[in-house]
Amino acid sequence: MTLGDGVKAAVLLFVASIAQVSIFSDLHVFGAVADLLLVTLVAVALLRGSVVGAVGGFFAGLLVDTASLGTLGLTSLVLTLAGYWIGRYGETTGRDRAHAPFLSVAVITVLYELGLLVVHFVLGESAPAGVVVRQLLPAVILNLILTAPIYALARRLLRPPSTDTLSAEVQLLGQ
Amino acid sequence: MLASSVQQSKPAPYPSKVRSAFVRRTVVVVLVLGALTLLTISFRSPASGALHDLQGIGSSALRPFQIAATRVATPFRDAYDYVDSLTRAKSENARLRKQVSAYKAAYLNARAAATQLPALEKLLRYEQGPTFPKDFGAVNARVISWSSSPFAHQLTIAAGSSSGIQRNSPVLSGDGLVGRVVNVFPDSAIVTLLTDAQSYVTARDLQTGVRGIVHRGPGGTLILDDVKKQEVVQSGDQLVTDGTRNPRYPDLYPFGIPIGRVSSVDVTDTATFLQVQVQPFANLGSLDSVAVLVAAKHKR
Repeated sequence: MTLGDGVKAAVLLFVASIAQVSIFSDLHVFGAVADLLLVTLVAVALLRGSVVGAVGGFFAGLLVDTASLGTLGLTSLVLTLAGYWIGRYGETTGRDRAHAPFLSVAVITVLYELGLLVVHFVLGESAPAGVVVRQLLPAVILNLILTAPIYALARRLLRPPSTDTLSAEVQLLGQ
Repeated sequence: MLASSVQQSKPAPYPSKVRSAFVRRTVVVVLVLGALTLLTISFRSPASGALHDLQGIGSSALRPFQIAATRVATPFRDAYDYVDSLTRAKSENARLRKQVSAYKAAYLNARAAATQLPALEKLLRYEQGPTFPKDFGAVNARVISWSSSPFAHQLTIAAGSSSGIQRNSPVLSGDGLVGRVVNVFPDSAIVTLLTDAQSYVTARDLQTGVRGIVHRGPGGTLILDDVKKQEVVQSGDQLVTDGTRNPRYPDLYPFGIPIGRVSSVDVTDTATFLQVQVQPFANLGSLDSVAVLVAAKHKR
């Protein structure tokens, strides 16, 4: 990954974080909120791997927590794990698969919401599981709607790396 | 030699791959630990401390970006709010229209019930009054249809044999006699009105005691027939059912049910009987509910 790529990914995640905090967090559709930041992070992690995903998730979460004056580190923790996990999926089985962004967004939306719920619960804060579960399906649908344009934009900005630069832990025989 | 297997050692991983995995895991562990540290510090001192101050500074630094983003999004948000409120207004409008329809229907039902109330009260007073025929009970029934045929003056009531109604049971309203039951079904019955051509009722003038037969006369009017010229019947006299005079031939109607009032009495040289016109007490054209007389032992 080049420095230019890193800057582009950082700008993309910064804009997504600001948009999430300023615009999307108040935009309730069917009781749920679309998570532009999560979708962007999934796109970046799929295209640039687990390390970029984890680092991007950490700092994006930090931005969100700072801008919203929430508990620092809370969103960072969940987004770091989400970015890492999706990055690993992109480096291994999800590579070059058309459905990978959609599958990743659907799964990570559920895990992200549940993860936040667990962290809130562990911290002794309000954790309305019923509300979160009821909002899961609309949230997944909203995020899936965002996936195609966001992934296309991220792919345009961050060209997929050549195969030899990808992690080769799943190595085909004969290569 | 060719068939012999060659012992191969397990391929050693590339140093770069090992380094890559190590770096990756180290990065994620460091980040997670960092997040946990931030979380712990922030949770332990949410309103003070260096981290809190840093968060405030960071938030202030990000504020211009947030304001810019909000301004950019404002037209879109306004458009969304407009469409959203329009959609909500439409659905609310539909809901309110449905409510108005329901209230209108309820109002009409209440009005209809209110118009029936005087007749029902009159019927109840008659049933509980001293002139109500002894040994009879009343089955109250709603009129559900009127015959549109010009040849038969009939109506259908919403009570039948399951309520104890039998063929030829007398039917009356709060004002007076209406007719008799001519056909019975389990939950409905057909009533022939006094004004039907097939209806004959023996009647008595309450004032003079003159007896006669009330039936349909020329032009669809009700007349008291079989009254000899020498008998005295005066306009305004009240007619009631005559009841059974000979127990061997019991009458369909018990004694004393009001039938109507004599409206005119004419005498002609050629006619054998008086021509007595009768105005029925019951308003046969607008009956909503009636009472059917059933023998007390049949009432259920």
